[in-house]
Amino acid sequence: MRKSRLAVLVGGLGLLVAVLPAVAHHAFVAQYDASKSTTLNGVVTKVEWTNPHARFYVDVKDKGGNVTNWNLELASPNALRRLGWTRDILKVGDQVSVFVAPAKDGAKMANARTVTLADGRKMVAGIAAEQGGVQ
Amino acid sequence: MRRNLVCSILTALFLAALLAVSATSLSAQGQPEPPGVNPAGGGVPMRSLERLKSKASGAAPRTADGKPDLSGIWGPEPNFMGDISNALKSGEKLPLQPWAVKVSRERLSKDDPEASCLPAGIPRQTPFPFKIIQTPKLIVFLIEGNMHTYRQIFVDGSSHPKDLDPTWFGDSRGTWQGDTLVVDTVGFNDKFWFDGIGHPHTEKLHIIERYRRPDAAHLAYEVTIDDPGAYTRPFTMYGNSPLLQNTEIMEYFCSENNQDVAHVLGKGRPAKE
Repeated sequence: MRKSRLAVLVGGLGLLVAVLPAVAHHAFVAQYDASKSTTLNGVVTKVEWTNPHARFYVDVKDKGGNVTNWNLELASPNALRRLGWTRDILKVGDQVSVFVAPAKDGAKMANARTVTLADGRKMVAGIAAEQGGVQ
Repeated sequence: MRRNLVCSILTALFLAALLAVSATSLSAQGQPEPPGVNPAGGGVPMRSLERLKSKASGAAPRTADGKPDLSGIWGPEPNFMGDISNALKSGEKLPLQPWAVKVSRERLSKDDPEASCLPAGIPRQTPFPFKIIQTPKLIVFLIEGNMHTYRQIFVDGSSHPKDLDPTWFGDSRGTWQGDTLVVDTVGFNDKFWFDGIGHPHTEKLHIIERYRRPDAAHLAYEVTIDDPGAYTRPFTMYGNSPLLQNTEIMEYFCSENNQDVAHVLGKGRPAKE
């Protein structure tokens, strides 16, 4: 019961975030659904340190053993550098845990909001701490 | 008992959240263009600039010819991004013509030129810094993003050329009025959006920007938009940029790996607005 209420609350807060659209390169609200945010655990298969977004790809295994490769969007390298990221902070083969807002269109793409690295460091990457978000 | 209390609190919070959403939606109904549909721009790039704000104090430096020196790396103005209504004087609304209200309400975010890595134009800003290089006869804006580009402002006493081809940044000529740089720009195309929710303009657009450096660490500006093709009267936006330190403008070639447009659905404004 408590868990379900909590889920509803989280959903409600997600809705609040969702009505506060983002600007800049593309509108967050038009691409991702923060109300469906979830955590993906998997292994990094590729890193693209590119504009307008750095991206990394993660193999996520479900309970049945099926593996899905997710395309995860970060901010741009200039913003990430200014936040203390470096281009080798994510490496192929790293086990990571990523709190994501998934794509609205059902693609296996998501905005990475926070990334917990293999060494335990938790890096802010997306709209985690603010209302709305610019990507 | 305790569990029930927790459940009640959570339920109350959720209901409060829903009410807040409803209130936002209801307040917008029936108004052609409420001020500040979108919150100010922000996000990760803006947050990345927070700790770079200069602590410089005192008066603005001056150039050898006695003008205020606008040179420096400046942070963007969040009110010039998501919805330019946020940059108006408090209580003021954008004087949109009816067709412009319709267009901005119908525009889909995937069609925002900025999503396709095209220039933001003027007055729109993006959450990345810009660098001003000031010389006696030419002032250059180096713009980090969304499209890595530049603006040239000629301050050599020349006038706008005749028969300008419409362009994204138009033709800018500057003059100094006391300590204020006044920039007159015409020759715009009608392709760029003024903001993330698609406020439009036409090729009749004429922009006058007034830049001041009120102190060492700030650039203040007023941007008057005069477009009789889309607005019923001129209006003025007010902005402020912080001086940044310990950084440089960095490359941002947006078209390098732009995977987003195909996945952008809907509008850049709230669904119920």
